[in-house]
Amino acid sequence: MSMNFSEFKKLIGADPLNRDPETLRARNSAPEFEAAASKAEEFERKLQSALRIKAPDDLLSRVKSISDKPARQRNWIPVSLAASLLILVGAAGLVWKQSQQWDSVESYIADHYSHDGNAAVEKAKAGVPDQDVNKILARLDATAGKELSGLIRFVKYCPTPDGRGAHMVVSTDQGPMTIIYMPKTRVAEGEEVIFDQMHAVLVNLDQGSVAIVGEESQRVDDLVVLVRDSLKTGIVGA
Amino acid sequence: MMGKSDRTRRFNELAEAYSADLYRYAMWLCGSDALAKDLVQETFLRAWRALDRLKDAGAVKSWLITILRREFARTFERKVPLFTDFEKVSIADDGMEPDDKTERDLLRNGILKLDPKYRDPLLLQVIFGYSCNEIAEQLGITKSAVMTQLFRAREKLKAQLRKDGVTGNVHELF
Repeated sequence: MSMNFSEFKKLIGADPLNRDPETLRARNSAPEFEAAASKAEEFERKLQSALRIKAPDDLLSRVKSISDKPARQRNWIPVSLAASLLILVGAAGLVWKQSQQWDSVESYIADHYSHDGNAAVEKAKAGVPDQDVNKILARLDATAGKELSGLIRFVKYCPTPDGRGAHMVVSTDQGPMTIIYMPKTRVAEGEEVIFDQMHAVLVNLDQGSVAIVGEESQRVDDLVVLVRDSLKTGIVGA
Repeated sequence: MMGKSDRTRRFNELAEAYSADLYRYAMWLCGSDALAKDLVQETFLRAWRALDRLKDAGAVKSWLITILRREFARTFERKVPLFTDFEKVSIADDGMEPDDKTERDLLRNGILKLDPKYRDPLLLQVIFGYSCNEIAEQLGITKSAVMTQLFRAREKLKAQLRKDGVTGNVHELF
């Protein structure tokens, strides 16, 4: 069915440089269509001119200079933590440890999640045998209230920038999300970390901090209040 | 993992391909030359850190834009952009007639006054040459919503020009 004039004007009003066959056919169908398209193109040229601004001469060299700085050193040493295997039924696997410090919490989050974040989510989806969440958290002087512990589908110990922490996968109405608890690390409150189609928000707790990690489409902020209210930290022998 | 020289080469290619457009985009988002430079710098710093994990070359542009948008949102969570530096970064008015320059300046003011929900898709379309589908994906809204916002953005700009009394060529466009 051919496009009427009103539809055509709306289409070229949204996308004046549209060159798909249907639009071109409509454009050539009558003089008024052609005139409207020409006017839209003329306005578009003015719009392009208005939006054109000059990038600073030194911008490219400034950006390129970023690569002159030393790249992060990574030297992963897989270490089997037998003790964790005893506690985490079914969560067999290797945990890793970084022999050199991460240059920031942000790079730790990206590296840690890239290492086994997706695998943990898959394990949580597959369902793991009942885990005593609070028994594991107690070893990190933390405890999770019912609202949070009821959502945790998978938990394991994990390395953090300042020692051992916990990696948890929680079930939410947006799908599984990950909480990385760092008992001895302070973070830039509310900072967002973006990496590989994922993003995380950093939240300080009474003691230590968490990163709440989700896919780009997930609203990780939605979990902040729940985690703050339910994850109590700094409780020795919790 | 890439070697250092491969990393640097790939990074430089990205910088050459996208830094100027990202700066323009940042300028239209925040209106400040210094902040726009910082936003671009921060965006590429993150790109450099994540370069090994950026395997999908086709997704890089969108990824860079997403980082910049989020960094901007974070920066301006508690601040209102001032939009002050446009004269400083304007292109030269080579051969432009005074009327055309007036018209361009009015159009710029109109763009700055647009609600972000109209300005955002317009910037992605005009600066980055994004299709309506790509804008929809970038902004997480439907293509139909994108088309409506783009149409209304242009209508609002035309209305603003009419209100500002432009009677030259632009008037004939309506």
